[in-house]
Amino acid sequence: MNQAEVSQLVSKLRIRINPRHKNLKCPEGPQGRLNKLRKTVNALFKYERLELNYTLADETRGYAERLISEAIRHGDTHKPTMEMADYWIEEKQLIHKLFKVLVPRFNDYQTSYTMLYRAPKAYPEIVYPRSVLELRGNPFPAILPQRSDQRNFIHNVLLDEAKKAYRAEKYEEITKSLEEQRDE
Amino acid sequence: MKRFSSCLYKKYSGSLCSIKYVSTSANIHPKTEIVAYQNNLFDNEQKRQREAVGRIEKITVKYIGVPENVTLSMNKGISTPFHCAQHISEMLVKRSGLALIDETHLWDMHRPLESDCELTFMHAQYLPDPYHFNRAYWRSCSLILGAVISKAFKTDIQPTLHSFPSPNVKSGSFVYDVELSNLPEWAPTENELRILSANMVKFAQKSYKFERLAVSEELALDIFQENKFKKEQVPNIAQQSIDKKVVLYRIDDHIEISRGPMIGNTDLLGRCSITAVHRLDTKNGHLYRFQGVSLPVNIMLNHFAYSLLEQRAKKLNAARWVDQAQNDTYVPQFSREETAV
Amino acid sequence: MLLKTLNFHRFKCGFAPVLRASRLFSNSPPSDVQQPSDESISGKQVKPERKSVVPSNSRFIYPEFLPDPKIEWRNSLREKLERMDMIQRRKHIDIPEFYVGSIMAVSSSNQHAPNKATRFVGICIQRLGCGLRANFTLRNVIKHVGTEMKYQLYDPTIQKIEVLRLEKRLDDELLYLRDAPNEYSTFDENMEVEYLPEGAPVPVNPEMVKLKPRPWRARWERKNMKGLADLGLEDRFYERAEELATPWEKYDLMKQYRKTIPEEEQKEIFAEVYSELHEVEVMRKKLKRKKVFIKPTKNV
Repeated sequence: MNQAEVSQLVSKLRIRINPRHKNLKCPEGPQGRLNKLRKTVNALFKYERLELNYTLADETRGYAERLISEAIRHGDTHKPTMEMADYWIEEKQLIHKLFKVLVPRFNDYQTSYTMLYRAPKAYPEIVYPRSVLELRGNPFPAILPQRSDQRNFIHNVLLDEAKKAYRAEKYEEITKSLEEQRDE
Repeated sequence: MKRFSSCLYKKYSGSLCSIKYVSTSANIHPKTEIVAYQNNLFDNEQKRQREAVGRIEKITVKYIGVPENVTLSMNKGISTPFHCAQHISEMLVKRSGLALIDETHLWDMHRPLESDCELTFMHAQYLPDPYHFNRAYWRSCSLILGAVISKAFKTDIQPTLHSFPSPNVKSGSFVYDVELSNLPEWAPTENELRILSANMVKFAQKSYKFERLAVSEELALDIFQENKFKKEQVPNIAQQSIDKKVVLYRIDDHIEISRGPMIGNTDLLGRCSITAVHRLDTKNGHLYRFQGVSLPVNIMLNHFAYSLLEQRAKKLNAARWVDQAQNDTYVPQFSREETAV
Repeated sequence: MLLKTLNFHRFKCGFAPVLRASRLFSNSPPSDVQQPSDESISGKQVKPERKSVVPSNSRFIYPEFLPDPKIEWRNSLREKLERMDMIQRRKHIDIPEFYVGSIMAVSSSNQHAPNKATRFVGICIQRLGCGLRANFTLRNVIKHVGTEMKYQLYDPTIQKIEVLRLEKRLDDELLYLRDAPNEYSTFDENMEVEYLPEGAPVPVNPEMVKLKPRPWRARWERKNMKGLADLGLEDRFYERAEELATPWEKYDLMKQYRKTIPEEEQKEIFAEVYSELHEVEVMRKKLKRKKVFIKPTKNV
C-alpha cells in the first residue's frame, strides 16, 4: 500500500488512464521516451489533429491533457507551469497558443480536451493499430458523422411520422373522452 | 372446390385453411403468353433504340465524390451511370440507387447518358439529404409489389394492376392498387400477407435490373392491351408528356408504366413486409389497395422499431384514390425530368 | 528485557531493529486513556458547529484518508468502509496531527511490561501506507542504541499517541538519521509537551544533519536530500550521482498524476469524512485547553 503524494494538487483528467504507462520503443531510455512524447505533444498543439500509432497517441494524450489542465489551473503567471510548458513545447510560439488560445477554448469544457479515434490500418503495409488524436474544437471537419445528418434517412423519417401519427391518435382519444365527459 | 396448389410450402402446411387464394407456388403464371408477348415487344423496341444510336460518340463524365474524383470518357447514348460506377468502385456499384446529373437531374442507374455531365451517386445514407433516393426507393417498392402481385395468385383469380400513387415516404407505406376478379370480398390472413412479403423478398433477391425505356403511345397501348386500366391511362400520359412518349420500366418480365426515376437494382430492397390489403370502392369498381413497408438493405433497424413501422403501415394509406386525382403514372409534367432542387 | 533483545538483534543484523508494535490483544484498550470524559461534553452542551467548507490542508493532516493511487488496487467500496473504520477508531483514541520530523510518544499495550503498557518517545522518521494500514516509524537512541519502532496508526493495541513537539523537517523521510551520530536522534523520554499557539503554522525545523563517515545504509549523495549537511565525499561519488540522476522525472506529468489522487476526488473524500473528523478535533481541543490550564505553558 502506497501513500498518495500530497505535495501538489492536480485536476482530474476526464480520460481513461492506463494503470501503467505503455512502453515506447526508444533506445535512450526514459528520457528518450519523454523526448519522443514531447515531439508529438508539440505537433498536437501545432496541428491539432494527428495520425499516429495507437500506443504513442494514447500516451501523448495523457501528457497533452495534463499540460492543458495545468495551464487552465494555474494560468501563465505560475512559474512551475511555465517551466513545464517550456519543457513540453519545443516551438516557443506554441506556448503562447497554449495560454492564449487553448486555455480560453477549454476553460469551460466539462469533457476531455482531446479525442482519440481508432483509424483503419492500410493493409498490408502497416501492422500496428493506427489512431487519430485531435484537440477538441479544432477547425477541421468532424471525424465521426454527425448524428443530425441521419434525420432524413428513410427509417428515421418513417419513425418520426409514426410518432406523429401515434400522438395525433392519442390527442384524438383524449378530446373524445373529454367531450364524452362534458356530455354526461 | 379444391383451391390448393400441389406444391405448398411445408412451412405453412399446418395452417392450410388460412391460405385460400394466394398461390404458394412459383410456377403458376396465369398469363404467360401475354407476358411473353409484352416482353417481346419491349425487347424489340429496346434493340431498335440501341441501334438507332448509330455512330458512337464520346462524352466526358466527371464524377465527384468518394473514393476519388474521376473524369471518364463514356459512349453517348450507350453508357449509363451504372457503367460509370463499374469503372470507379465496386462499393459504388453495390450501394448506388440513383444518379444525380449536373446536380439538378435525377437519372436512373440504367438510363444511357446523353451529354457531357457531372455525376454523383445517391444511396440510402446519402448526405446531406437522401430524400430523392427515398422517393425513388418507395416508388420502386410499389413497382416490385405490382410484379409480385401479378404472379402471386392462382390461375382462377385474375389480378389486374391499376396503378400506384405518387410515392410519399411520410405516409408510412408504399401502395399498389389492384383489381382482383372473382374476389369481391377478400380479407387476407396473416399467413397470406406473410407469403406476399416472402415472395417480395425472394423476388428482390434475384437482383433484377430496372430497365427503362421510353416508347411511343401506340407501342404502349399494344403492350398493355390486356389491361383495361392501363389502356385508359396510356393516351392521357402520352398527351401530357412533352415528347409524346410513355416511359416503361421492366424488372424480370414485369413491365410497368411510371414516370420514374427508379433505383438501379431490386437487391437494394432489404427488410420488407406487406402489412395490409384494404378494399376501396371507386368508380372503376372494387379495387384492393396493397400496402407494405420496407427498408433499404444497408439500413439497420431494431426489430421493435420496425414493428412500430409495420403497425403504422397497417392503417389505410390515404394517398389519392385513383379517381380522386391524377396518379403518379400520369402526372401532367410527365416527361420532364424530376429535378433535385 | 525488551531492550536487551533489541540490542542483541541489532548486533546480529547490523542495523537498527524495527519493531512492529502490532501485537493483537483480545481486550480493548483501557478506558482511562484520554477518553472524552462525559461530563466535559454534557456540562457545557456545546455542539460543534459543522463546517461545510473543508480546509485545504486536510490532505496534509489526514493523508491516510486518501486511497492508494494505484489504479488496479482502487476499490471505492473498500475505501469507504476503511474510512468508516478509521473514523470509528479516531473516536476512541486521539490521533493528533503529526508530520515526519515531529517528536511523538506512543503508549501501547505490552503484556510483558510491568504495568502492561510501554511508552516510546522518538522522532517520526517515516510515514507510510494509507487506509487502515497507515503506519509511522519512531526513532530514538536508548542507552546508546538506536531504536526504531514501527506503529500501525490504527492498531487497537495503541493506547495513546502524543505529539510532544509538532514540527516538520526539510525532508519527507528522515531515514538518514540512521547514519547520523546518535545526538541527532536522541530525545529525552520524559520530555514535556510543547504547545504551539492557536492557529499558528507548523514550524519547519531547518536543522542540517551531518552524517557519520561512510559506510552508510544508502547512498545519500544520490537521494537529493535537503536536510543533509555537506557529505564530505570524493568527487567520483558526486559524478556518479550526477550520471544516475533523473532530472526529467519532474516533467513526467503522467508519472506524477499516477502517484496522486486528483483534487476532485480528494474533495469528495474529505467532504464525506470531514464533519466527523471535525467533531473529533473539537473534542480534542477542549481537552487540550484543560491541560493548558493545569500546566504552565512553555511555548517555543
